[in-house]
Amino acid sequence: MNPEETDLISRCQQGDQEALKGIFEKYQKKVYRIAYGVVRQREEALDIVQEVFIKLFRSIKNFKGRSQFYTYLYRMTMNTAIDHARKTGKQSMSSLDQEGSFQPSDEAEKGPERILLHKELEERVKRAMGQLPAEQRAALVYREVEGLSYQEMAEAMGCSIGTVMSRLHYGRKRMQELLKDYVGLHGQSRSSSNFRKGEKEG
Amino acid sequence: MKDSCSSVSPLLEKYFDKEVTDKERLFVEGHLQDCPACRGNLTSMEKMRTLIKVPVEEASQKEDFPWLWQKIEREIRFQEKRTWWQSLRSWLDVSPLFRKKVWVPAVATLVVLLFITGQIIFKRAPSYPGASVVEYVESETNNVMIYDLEKAKVTVIWVFEEPEKESMGT
Repeated sequence: MNPEETDLISRCQQGDQEALKGIFEKYQKKVYRIAYGVVRQREEALDIVQEVFIKLFRSIKNFKGRSQFYTYLYRMTMNTAIDHARKTGKQSMSSLDQEGSFQPSDEAEKGPERILLHKELEERVKRAMGQLPAEQRAALVYREVEGLSYQEMAEAMGCSIGTVMSRLHYGRKRMQELLKDYVGLHGQSRSSSNFRKGEKEG
Repeated sequence: MKDSCSSVSPLLEKYFDKEVTDKERLFVEGHLQDCPACRGNLTSMEKMRTLIKVPVEEASQKEDFPWLWQKIEREIRFQEKRTWWQSLRSWLDVSPLFRKKVWVPAVATLVVLLFITGQIIFKRAPSYPGASVVEYVESETNNVMIYDLEKAKVTVIWVFEEPEKESMGT
């Protein structure tokens, strides 16, 4: 933890809202990405971000500095996001027409068909993620979205590195099964043929 | 899939996540050169990562957060304003009384008990309307109660004998 962050945390623990704003500015995107990674829906992800920072303000006194602050915050975000996902159950009953579930970066460059394909694909990913146990989903979001190391993941998830690897492995395996049309069954059918095709073309 | 795949397989995900040692990395890369199946597996993991990550990245880039901070700030202020009422409510314990339905029969029982106890305590009071007890004296022989009738301006002295043979004198 750098001294600036330590100062922000210390001030926030004394109820300073400006310090909370400093923490918010530093971590807003990361918290949003984790939240979005779990619920994969814009409005819900924004609600989670709001809830997390309010919770943080209330509970930051409990942070004793034994772990990295960001792992503390990530854990809080993940728990809140998974709670939201459980409560709303939107993972399993999502709709293709749901506004804000996927936003192409530059719609002008993408034709309507491509946008539709993207939306459909994102819905498939969302449903697949929703079918994973919470721990596996958390592991995938930490690793694939935030790019945390195994050590950082173990700290954020409060488990051993071995458990992290196991959750990641089973999560990926299940996702490959659920999205075999897109990534190839067990990573061999379409993926390997694509690779070979690429070799020939290359 | 080659026989050597089984020895590489446990390292493949670690390699993909850049968690291998240099020695392990060289071993995996050597194997990948000759094994399309393991390369395919790696490509599949890469595609999976893209599917999970890219929509999140795109959504995140489009987001503007300052308004969200204002919302958070407002909510914190609102909750702070509410705190005194919440503490008062918890002090009065009104909310749990209604929330926990177990208290309803408990309170009802208490009210009934108080009513019965009141009846027992005040049963010696005269039932005559407009009468007020001035004094009640207990003795070994006869208990005596003196009370006034307001309207008639009469003092009544009630001497208790046996239950059947109560006599009254004025």
